[in-house]
Amino acid sequence: MEHNLENIIAATDEIIERKGTDAGAVIPILQAIQARFNYLPEEALRHVCEKSSIDPGNIVGVASFYSQFRMEPAGRHMIKVCVGTACHVKGAGLVYDSFKRFFGMGENQVTDATGTYTLEKVSCLGCCTLAPVVQIDDVTYGHVSSDKVDSVIKDFESQVGKVASKGRFRTPEGEEFQGEIRIGLGSCCVASGSKEIQKEIEETISNTGINVHLKNVGCVGMCHQVPLVEVIDGNRKSTVYAKVKANEVNDIISAHFKPKKLLDRLRTRAYNILEKMQSDGSWEGVNRYSIDMREGVVSEFLGRQMPIATEHRGVLNPLDLEEYKNKGGFEALRKVLEMERSEVIRGIRESGLRGRGGAGFLTGLKWELTAKENSPEKYFICNGDEGDPGAFMDRMLLESYPYRVIEGALIAAYAVEATAGFFYIRAEYPLAVTRIKQALINCEEHNLLGENILGSGFSFNIEVYEGAGAFVCGEETALMASIEGRRGFPTIRPPFPAQKGLWGKPTLINNTETLAMVPYVIRHGKDKFLGIGSENSKGTKVFSLAGKINRGGLIEVPMEITIREIVEEIGGGLQNGKKFKAVQIGGPSGGCIPESLADTPIDYQSLQSVGAMMGSGGMVVLDEDDCMVDIAKYFLSFTQKESCGKCTFCRVGTRRMLDILEKITSGNGKMEDLDELEYLAGWTKKGSLCNLGRSAPNPILTTLKYFREEYEAHIAGRCPTGKCAAMINYYVTDDCIGCTKCAQKCPVGAIKFEPHKKHEIDTAICIKCDACRPACPVDSIIVK
Amino acid sequence: MLKVKINNREIEVDEGTTILEAAGKLGITIPTMCHLEGGEKFASCMICLVKDMGNGRLVPSCSMPVIDGMDIVTDDAECHEARKAALELLLSEHVGDCEAPCQGLCPAHMDIPMMNRLIASGDFDKAIEVIRRDIPIPAILGRICPAPCEAGCRRKEMDGSVSICLLKGFAADRQLAKEPKRATARIDLDPAKRKKVAIIGAGPAGLSAAYFIDLRGHSVDIFEKTLETGGAMRGISEEKLPREVLDREIEYLLGENIRINHGYDVNKRIFDQLRDDYDAVVVANGGWQDTGAWGMKMGKSGVEVEPGTYLTSLENVFAIGNAIRASKVSVRSVAHGKELAAVLDRYFLSGVLERNEERFNSKFGKLVEEEYDEYLKDSIPEPRIEPLEGKAAGFTVEEAIIEAKRCLRCDCRKADNCLLRDLSGEYGAQQKRFSFGDRRMVTRKFGNQNIVFEENKCIRCGKCVQITKQEKEKFGFTFVGRGFDVKVGVPFDEKLDSALRKTAIKVIRNCPVGALAFASE
Repeated sequence: MEHNLENIIAATDEIIERKGTDAGAVIPILQAIQARFNYLPEEALRHVCEKSSIDPGNIVGVASFYSQFRMEPAGRHMIKVCVGTACHVKGAGLVYDSFKRFFGMGENQVTDATGTYTLEKVSCLGCCTLAPVVQIDDVTYGHVSSDKVDSVIKDFESQVGKVASKGRFRTPEGEEFQGEIRIGLGSCCVASGSKEIQKEIEETISNTGINVHLKNVGCVGMCHQVPLVEVIDGNRKSTVYAKVKANEVNDIISAHFKPKKLLDRLRTRAYNILEKMQSDGSWEGVNRYSIDMREGVVSEFLGRQMPIATEHRGVLNPLDLEEYKNKGGFEALRKVLEMERSEVIRGIRESGLRGRGGAGFLTGLKWELTAKENSPEKYFICNGDEGDPGAFMDRMLLESYPYRVIEGALIAAYAVEATAGFFYIRAEYPLAVTRIKQALINCEEHNLLGENILGSGFSFNIEVYEGAGAFVCGEETALMASIEGRRGFPTIRPPFPAQKGLWGKPTLINNTETLAMVPYVIRHGKDKFLGIGSENSKGTKVFSLAGKINRGGLIEVPMEITIREIVEEIGGGLQNGKKFKAVQIGGPSGGCIPESLADTPIDYQSLQSVGAMMGSGGMVVLDEDDCMVDIAKYFLSFTQKESCGKCTFCRVGTRRMLDILEKITSGNGKMEDLDELEYLAGWTKKGSLCNLGRSAPNPILTTLKYFREEYEAHIAGRCPTGKCAAMINYYVTDDCIGCTKCAQKCPVGAIKFEPHKKHEIDTAICIKCDACRPACPVDSIIVK
Repeated sequence: MLKVKINNREIEVDEGTTILEAAGKLGITIPTMCHLEGGEKFASCMICLVKDMGNGRLVPSCSMPVIDGMDIVTDDAECHEARKAALELLLSEHVGDCEAPCQGLCPAHMDIPMMNRLIASGDFDKAIEVIRRDIPIPAILGRICPAPCEAGCRRKEMDGSVSICLLKGFAADRQLAKEPKRATARIDLDPAKRKKVAIIGAGPAGLSAAYFIDLRGHSVDIFEKTLETGGAMRGISEEKLPREVLDREIEYLLGENIRINHGYDVNKRIFDQLRDDYDAVVVANGGWQDTGAWGMKMGKSGVEVEPGTYLTSLENVFAIGNAIRASKVSVRSVAHGKELAAVLDRYFLSGVLERNEERFNSKFGKLVEEEYDEYLKDSIPEPRIEPLEGKAAGFTVEEAIIEAKRCLRCDCRKADNCLLRDLSGEYGAQQKRFSFGDRRMVTRKFGNQNIVFEENKCIRCGKCVQITKQEKEKFGFTFVGRGFDVKVGVPFDEKLDSALRKTAIKVIRNCPVGALAFASE
């Protein structure tokens, strides 16, 4: 529909009608306007101001604060290049540049000349194990490299307008159990195409008449292998297929539920795929293999883990309330509703459970502080604003275990006598939003929410609030400002949310993962929880393990496990036999822990003592090829963009630190710069208003502490890992066989070649896009 | 009531009182730039950081409520360093000049832009008053000064510098033509405090020192070797500097109190005598005598002096002008005389001999071409004009007004009313310490009601946002964007006037820097 003034006004009126005219409705209104027009037309915003109590200052202030909102129209398709930590270390920056070149976009241009594509960087799509990841509208491409951009666009264009056939699942009523097919529907799985696979399975089942049960399960945590299909055959034997493609579904099903001879067909196909991989450079060179979940590497992957927040992983259908109940779900709630509130709080307090959002404040104490406030209105908020570019625990918990989080929320709300509740979830997590919304409806239907819950006399409702893209809104006071419809400016504490929170009322805010632990603690009693972990840190912690590791994914481990155990035993060590250099824990607030300290146990105190912090749980493994100065620069460029922009130290301090790092990585650094960097890091830590600023220098401080020699090398004019573009050049060695492949890949014609003779790179033309290096079949292109 | 200890003094305050307020009750001042009386607890500038001795953390006192039993320190070395660091960060993105480049280049530090504005408005009397604050021989210098100021004029690259030197001469000539005697009031100093100064040499340095010492109420005797006054200035051609102008201006300068003794060829004996008879002796003889024999330590270029105080190796003996280093730039000698007068006056009255404090001065360097139009908004598009009747005759009134109007107004409208400047001076902040990378572009937005908004000077304190919201302006100001790039602006890019329908005065008074000012200021 055309966006003429009349349309805009009419649509805006309809949106205001739906969302209300309170100042607090501003973000939902803006989200609705953008959903409708693909950007925020100024006429619409002006109209909102006329028709509601929202004033121009507020609407412009809010619209320009949250990164979700666009003031300019975008192309028909959005290309989102993930620049989260895991993608960054795998070359997302080069991929982004490659897209820009592909579309011939100028420096400040983000939409191509035809208005078809708009390119943007996003901080984390939560598919860290598929890094580098690019999302075009709803299609996700993993393992994209700078030379595969054209194939991605070609493939996307071949998909546009295709309507997937809608297979209907034939219900095998009263028929004998022949088996079960479980399909992962976590975001990684969905991103890697599990939806198509689900359709394909439904179709195959429907066409062949095989009597199996198709079951959707949440995230299994094996995100490095997605999409996953688990087949339980008639003998209850389980086989897991990883990296499955839609066109292979038929064969997989046939392999288990049809005569043997078809297996041969499958093998032949697998061989063909392998052959295709070698002969065809197409981007979808993914391989497929089946693995047995109970044996070998996989059992190691899962075996060291201890699922509490992720209990029954791979088994639970996220939205199947009955199943959740059958596995002990809502037992804790029933138990609690019969207990004295003080007793509930004491139990949580004595279990030693600490907030999993980063700071590690004792959860029970937080409840106690909120409970003791005397107020007719109290609020409860579940903090699902996970913004760390390299962490997706909350997303997975909300998607895969919505009932568990809701149960935890209800227990907390009951304990502190909250009168209303909110789930604050990033808008970048649409699946989590949908799942939680549906789960809330289901709970209400079963009297687990609403009036007089389970006959206890306790009434409670939960609303979902979609965050609009601001890392700082993970900070409690900023989060509340956001719900109140303001810019996410943190405010000074005290007053703490427990005293004066949302709309000035006492408010309890708990992190998603913390809440997912609560039912377990109640159900099994505090002692069981106390028995897990270390002296000061009890229970388990969920991490998203990514980076240069063999097996990435979501893991839940008992506290006190060491970093090395996670990397080596769960993660299966480094990829390609590279040397383990460091692990970045805690994202922009955390630090880089060197391999020499890898025996540090996972524990709030010990992580802090080495300069990192638990943070929300991002864990990115770095190898010998990663430049630590570049990593520090990466995080600082994130924080200086995500700073709310209020206090001097954070707003200007983070930028000036980034400036110094840029100076150093461009070869213009001086030794004195390191002193200034330390000075600024120290003062930004001490002088900032909130924890975003106070922790922003951590990536610099830890890398300076553990990898100072790398900074010094850059100042001496050398990037030891060859990552910093300004300090490196590409060369062809004598190993060159003269195959011309590199020259074909070069987007700027910098490679002079004669077939069968050694090629040469003109460093003056070369833009260091790295397209040639992986193209060389004999590794004869080097960087130095 | 809550008890709190601030700098070891106890006070009881009501619940909800901030540390800043509690300190105020004790008469302890904590600097702040973003705090708005009666506003929200915003805490953006972080200049008001104080230390909570209980946990060693720094907290913004404007927003932090007093907690019972708190022990606060407001100004130890750490607080001081924190404020300095915050100021240096704010300065790193503050694109603005406190003073115009021309003033910075003038050795006498004359307030050139002010002179230009006064001439442009036809207030020539006020203009010459401003000139004479720093330059006692403007009619002379208006003819002979090499005008280093004009080399730094931002208009130079556009269509020629403002003709500063001639404008100064213009104002001086008008004054000398109608005012027979020096009218500038001399400080009526208590005779008990009055000191006697002997000045050797009646060139530009000696005359300037004499003038400024005299203005401060002390008595001055000049001892000149020749029978004439003016030193080297007498050697300039009549065509360039008519004798009449020279004599007339010197006469005006000397006024009624300065005594001049001609024909005194000072030697070691006379010199020692002068030292005995006077409280201070100023050597300003242009290095024409063998001052080395008088017992002063000599350097490579002349008498050696302590930088800033002009003190020689001998007690109470000072040296200025060409006596310390030969130069043809008279305005430099004039500047020495002015500076020394201030040093001596302070020395006489308080016994402390120290250099004059230099005021903090923010400078952002060159304008780029894209910014010319922004600065031209404050000016007129005429190119530089030369006096129709020749340089010697100087500008006519009409010419002077047009030429003065060409001034781009590079100096800040709030140069004397800026918290950032004052605090940066107080805390010794270095402006360029963290100025890496590109600076922001300068912009000047004018409203119809005498308002000007220079966004590049804004420190994002948010006071204007708060005030316009409190007073329910329809548009007002708002924060736009976030992170380092956050700025303050008018929603939907509406005009300044729509933002400040009723709050212009309040907002401008509260803006701690020169971002929002009265255009006419």
